[in-house]
Amino acid sequence: MIRIKGKAVSPGIVMGRALLYNFEKEVIRAENIGAQSVQREIWRLENAVKKSQAQLKKINLGMQKIMGKDAAFIIETQYLLLKDSHLLDEIRGAIQGKLVKAEWAIKQVEKKYLDIFHSIPDLSFKAKSNDISDVLNRLIANLKKGSPAAAAPQPGQVILVADDITPSEAATLMSNKRLLGLVLNKGGETSHTVILARTLGIPAILDTVNATDSIFSGDTLALDSINGEVIVQPTPALAEDIAARIEKFREYKEQLKNLSQLPELTLDRHQFRLYANIELPFESEIVQSYGAKGIGLFRTEFLYLDSKMSISEEEQCLIYKKIAQNIFPHPLVIRTYDLGRDKSDPAAPRREENPSLGMMAVRLFLKDREPFKIQIKAIMRANTSGNIRILFPMITEIEEIRAIKAIMAEAKKELQRAGAYPRKDVQTGIMLEIPAAVRLIRHLGNDIDFFSVGSNDLIQYLLAVDRNNSDVSYLFSPYHPAFVHILKEIRTEVDRIGKEVTICGEMAGQPIPALMLLGMGFTHFSMNALAIAEIKRVFTQIDYMRLRRIVSQLGRFGSRTEIEAFLRTELEKLYPGLLSGPNT
Amino acid sequence: MIEKTQLIHNKLGLHARAAAKLSHLANLYASDIYLIYNEDKVNAKSLLGILTLAASVGNEIILQASGGDEQEAIEAISDLFNRKFDEES
Repeated sequence: MIRIKGKAVSPGIVMGRALLYNFEKEVIRAENIGAQSVQREIWRLENAVKKSQAQLKKINLGMQKIMGKDAAFIIETQYLLLKDSHLLDEIRGAIQGKLVKAEWAIKQVEKKYLDIFHSIPDLSFKAKSNDISDVLNRLIANLKKGSPAAAAPQPGQVILVADDITPSEAATLMSNKRLLGLVLNKGGETSHTVILARTLGIPAILDTVNATDSIFSGDTLALDSINGEVIVQPTPALAEDIAARIEKFREYKEQLKNLSQLPELTLDRHQFRLYANIELPFESEIVQSYGAKGIGLFRTEFLYLDSKMSISEEEQCLIYKKIAQNIFPHPLVIRTYDLGRDKSDPAAPRREENPSLGMMAVRLFLKDREPFKIQIKAIMRANTSGNIRILFPMITEIEEIRAIKAIMAEAKKELQRAGAYPRKDVQTGIMLEIPAAVRLIRHLGNDIDFFSVGSNDLIQYLLAVDRNNSDVSYLFSPYHPAFVHILKEIRTEVDRIGKEVTICGEMAGQPIPALMLLGMGFTHFSMNALAIAEIKRVFTQIDYMRLRRIVSQLGRFGSRTEIEAFLRTELEKLYPGLLSGPNT
Repeated sequence: MIEKTQLIHNKLGLHARAAAKLSHLANLYASDIYLIYNEDKVNAKSLLGILTLAASVGNEIILQASGGDEQEAIEAISDLFNRKFDEES
């Protein structure tokens, strides 16, 4: 039995047989032919094209049936590429001109276009190179005599294990319902494959690095995309356990279905709000189905990094607008680039001895203002529906807010001059993640509309602990008494000036810490969309006043283990079974 | 041979769907039709060719056609650009 960790994509637990998918592209060598064989190679090519077209047409129809026209376009592009006579002419030309086999001619043409697409900085054209490779490799596969279409190797439902898979392969497998789950070595959260898995609710684990080395076809796999884990060949006892968890998860999902319709009220009718954190624009299309009543944190770093820092105001504006419309009338909070530190930021000026105390987020941009201002303008312009808010990370002192405000005023003036400023101002907020900012709430609050607590960073900076360092990560705890104290201080100070505060960060999506926050009087929570249903379940089953009484006693304890134990025991006592969801 | 300078109005530029419409339309005409953008010249009847331009909104592209129906071809293609490829209302 082996356990493999990875990044979970859509929540679920499944157990089934592994199918190792060998996507290593065949090595194709240059193979010369005589002039008399040219006709034969062209004939092989034309046959492969026909076969490929028929396959893609079939996949396309299948996709349209389950996902509607829009999603099916992923495959349609490939179909149209194959119908492009110029592409085929080029391959034919290579066969004739260089006297090579069709396989090698296709590889040459592929290389040419990959080079072209890779040199295009524009974000929206990036996926194209994937499509062209995918379609040309299908052609090569179909050149083989009697070769079956890709992705039909074994009957029955399977958990697919692969290095990475292409959109058409994913589409085929997912549309004929043979795919129970997906385990990939690679990441690629923006890939079509992952979008499809998420949309269809197929549990997937990404970024396992080397799952394909430790799993063999036919192995029994338990895939747990709640905890981001794959268990290879579980022992009989564990398999029984997992089967029970699968059943429980099924019941739980049934129960959750009804939850997203419920009002956001505790048993004693205390109102709370649950928002989603998102990283990729397309997530905005699905978070509402998970019960999110808004997006409390849109992390924008990827826009900047993926576009090699060249994303234009126009492109950004379109993306923001689309998300705002998807989530309307609920709010969308856009956090400006939080670069630096661990985020492998190419814009970082130089190697720093102490990156988490160095140039990051707002500090970077107050030094190099241009990309920052472009982003601010894009956000302001996008706010035509009036539900966009802007959030600035890593604020340490009031001077930063003043500098930001000055840039915002400039941006507004420039947009107004161009006639591109919408009627409504965006509301402005700052992150509370450096302890110093918490102490300054009443001063910082003068110039801004709302606060957002980045609990992960606040714990890290308060306790001087890196949670990714396994030697010290035990110290990283939302129950540390000093942290509990600082949370109370935030609540009191923000109340004093009558502003709003949202908790972002992992603890907002963990039942016991979230209940502790609710009991302290926090009402706005933003979390990974997948956690929303569970938090809503526990919040709608408790009484706020009773929770408050429990939480008000936390000051008695000077130790994190005592605080955690106390909360757990008291909650169990009052609400037996409350904490028995699959996430707790 | 005739040429026309055309502004790209649609937000997404010549992305896959728009490029597919454009190449489909170009294929209805007998004339040779080319697109010239940033010193690159591609055959308007090739979807792949159009995609390699990565032409984006707000930029100008030159339409070039030569053949018996060059006038009609240029007008029809220009009209498609001006209708924003029917993708925005």
